[in-house]
Amino acid sequence: MLLALHGIQKRFGGVVALRRGDLEVQAGEVHLLLGENGAGKSTLMKVVAGMIGRDGGEMLWQGRPADFRSPKEAAANGIAMVHQESLLAPHLTVAENIFLGREERLPLGWVRRRRMAEQAARLIAEHGFPLQADWRVERLSPAGKQLVEICRAIQHGSSLLIFDEPTSSLSESETQAVFRIVGALRDRKMGVIYITHRLQELRSVGDRVTILRDGETVHTGPLAGLGTDRIIQHMVGREVTAIYRREPLEPGAELMRVRGLSSRPLVKDISFTLRAGEIVGLAGLVGAGRTELCDALFGIHPPDGGTVEVEGRAIRVKSPREAVAAGIALIPEDRQKNGLAKALPVGYNMTMASLDSLSRFGFLRHGAERQTASEFIARLRIRVDSPHQLAGRLSGGNQQKVVISKWLARGARVFLFDEPARGIDVGAKVEVFEVMDELARSGAAILMVSSELAELLQVADRILVMRHGRITAELPGRTTQEEIMRHAALDDGNVKGEVIQE
Amino acid sequence: MIQRLLPFLTLIALFVALSIASPHFLTNTNLSSVVRQTAVINIMALGMTLIIIAGGIDLSVGAILAFGGLMGTMAMERGYPIVAGIFIGAFAGMLWGVVNGALATHLNINPFIVTLGTMGIARGLTLIVSNGLPVHQIPQRFSFLGEGNLLGVPFVLWIVVACAVAVHVILEHTRLGRYAYAIGSNPDAAYYAGIPVAFHTTAVYAIGGLLTGLAGMVEASRLMTGQPTAGQGYELQAIAAVVIGGGSLRGGEGSVIGTLIGAFIMGLLSNGSDLLGISPYLQQAIIGAVIILVVWVDELRRRKMSR
Repeated sequence: MLLALHGIQKRFGGVVALRRGDLEVQAGEVHLLLGENGAGKSTLMKVVAGMIGRDGGEMLWQGRPADFRSPKEAAANGIAMVHQESLLAPHLTVAENIFLGREERLPLGWVRRRRMAEQAARLIAEHGFPLQADWRVERLSPAGKQLVEICRAIQHGSSLLIFDEPTSSLSESETQAVFRIVGALRDRKMGVIYITHRLQELRSVGDRVTILRDGETVHTGPLAGLGTDRIIQHMVGREVTAIYRREPLEPGAELMRVRGLSSRPLVKDISFTLRAGEIVGLAGLVGAGRTELCDALFGIHPPDGGTVEVEGRAIRVKSPREAVAAGIALIPEDRQKNGLAKALPVGYNMTMASLDSLSRFGFLRHGAERQTASEFIARLRIRVDSPHQLAGRLSGGNQQKVVISKWLARGARVFLFDEPARGIDVGAKVEVFEVMDELARSGAAILMVSSELAELLQVADRILVMRHGRITAELPGRTTQEEIMRHAALDDGNVKGEVIQE
Repeated sequence: MIQRLLPFLTLIALFVALSIASPHFLTNTNLSSVVRQTAVINIMALGMTLIIIAGGIDLSVGAILAFGGLMGTMAMERGYPIVAGIFIGAFAGMLWGVVNGALATHLNINPFIVTLGTMGIARGLTLIVSNGLPVHQIPQRFSFLGEGNLLGVPFVLWIVVACAVAVHVILEHTRLGRYAYAIGSNPDAAYYAGIPVAFHTTAVYAIGGLLTGLAGMVEASRLMTGQPTAGQGYELQAIAAVVIGGGSLRGGEGSVIGTLIGAFIMGLLSNGSDLLGISPYLQQAIIGAVIILVVWVDELRRRKMSR
């Protein structure tokens, strides 16, 4: 047994994050750690990696009681963690990052750069990673950065590697690359703990599973023979139909018409229409220009050619202001960065885009504002104690609902949803889809970008596929994943290097 | 909660301690003089509160104070009525605020750098216009602004209270105030929400400049001169007052009452040191240490909240 955790407990102030964390990992296995947001997965892993102390329970590392007081101590004992967000120094090279904090030095602190570069190059070549030791990390794609983190872990001679949602920001081909690496690590008799949210990808990586719920280990066992429905049931603690299916309705009037839209360098000659009551999916690989298309329509990167009409009127967007005025809403991919003011109350966030109508002569109408906030909290079933609660303290699903409310309060009619369900619990995902469905039913038009093809098939009435900045196909909602991939990745077999270094 | 109240408790503790330590502290004369001495920093710090909440910073306020004071007193020297002079001084400050805001938003330069630059420009212009010489020909009645009494308390206290109420109303009851919080808390999210970020950021700097110009007139009235070298180092005191009062240089946080408390803590520290015969050299060190202490405790509170 490489690692054994028994009854790990951890509380933050009055909040119990871990009640009873049990986990056993053997050398040469990929152990999946599953659970909803807030179930305690990350907390448990932070305890293992020495980032936080535990309040109770026992930890055995290679058979001996262990208590790592810092990440450095854990690393010295062979435990490394690959984080979801890159913790690399962007201005340094790949080699410098691999050796960061463990530079080979001569006396007086002289750093042996060339020697480290050679060692890094050897390591990269040995694993066949599409990296160069002298590339600067800031120029790497998320996948490239993750590879560097993996190199770091291997270089340090780790025997246990923890992946915290490694593929959440990766494209399909990059994900496959990570899986291959994970498989190779297992073959070298390393232990791998793999945290993920994506139920689809479980099958291709894992050997055994441990599922946490509300800070407790509720299931542990081999992956084989464990159905997806059972997994979800363990995670959520009740029966959930993971398979959401929207009933399309007869589309109404045309709300948005885009003709020949371009926005260099990634959006080229895009034409499509959106009708009231419709949810149109937008599929494509990472780098196909989907987010860039949303950004162009919303004025983040104003288009440099083509026309956009909203409800029959031609509009020119130079910034989000004009887009918002025309009734367009963007629910951005990175909601923490672009969608929410996390340190402000939920109510402030909800009314942020509609203060023009909620104020008179520049003075806020507090009554009307309060009413708006409570109305949408009730309507979208947002779980908050009060509108005064800070937005940053909500779960991902509830945060997403707050962002959506901001645009409902504004009365937007064309919604651009960029990866609406990313990083959200299974249960909350369905709720977000239901909100989108409700929106469509009340006469809005929705464009939905998603990298999860299964999601698109569940929600969208028809699906546009983008590749290299162009729309290559328009498919009916009841198409197949294979059909979408065929149009999305037709000639993408040879662009791996391009994907890794942007 | 105790930690949230820390600035206030510090102020009370200081007040009580000084009352016990020095018989001269709890006297009308002394308290009036504390109020008068802190008024200038108070007024500037109120504007700084808005700016810091909106995620900005203004290093040029010391120089703007001198510029405003000089413009106002020069106007009086040329025969303009006192009230007109005060308005001119405040307005001159506001112009600098507009310049700061416009540069920061339209050239997209970090406000720290922009205002470091305008600090030099405003100070330089002040010295050029005045030829480096103070303005002395000021009507005697102008001293009422800084030294007079109204209803038994220093007139400047009324000004501070009026400014505090105004800034509080802006922050809590106007769209501009709400936008300031939004922009300071997450400028990207504000932009994505269609908020005219550049306009409102500039407006915030303009209000800061206006209050600073007014503070410049108060300072001029207390000195009864338009002093081109006035206000040096005041920017740091104004920022310190905001930060001691719970403002965050990361934006999105701060309050009027906190800033007032912060300014009075510094005022009492300096007054108390005078009364107790502590050397002015040591005073500076004490104030510096208090700034670090209070902000550190606040940081601990934040960390505890977020994890």
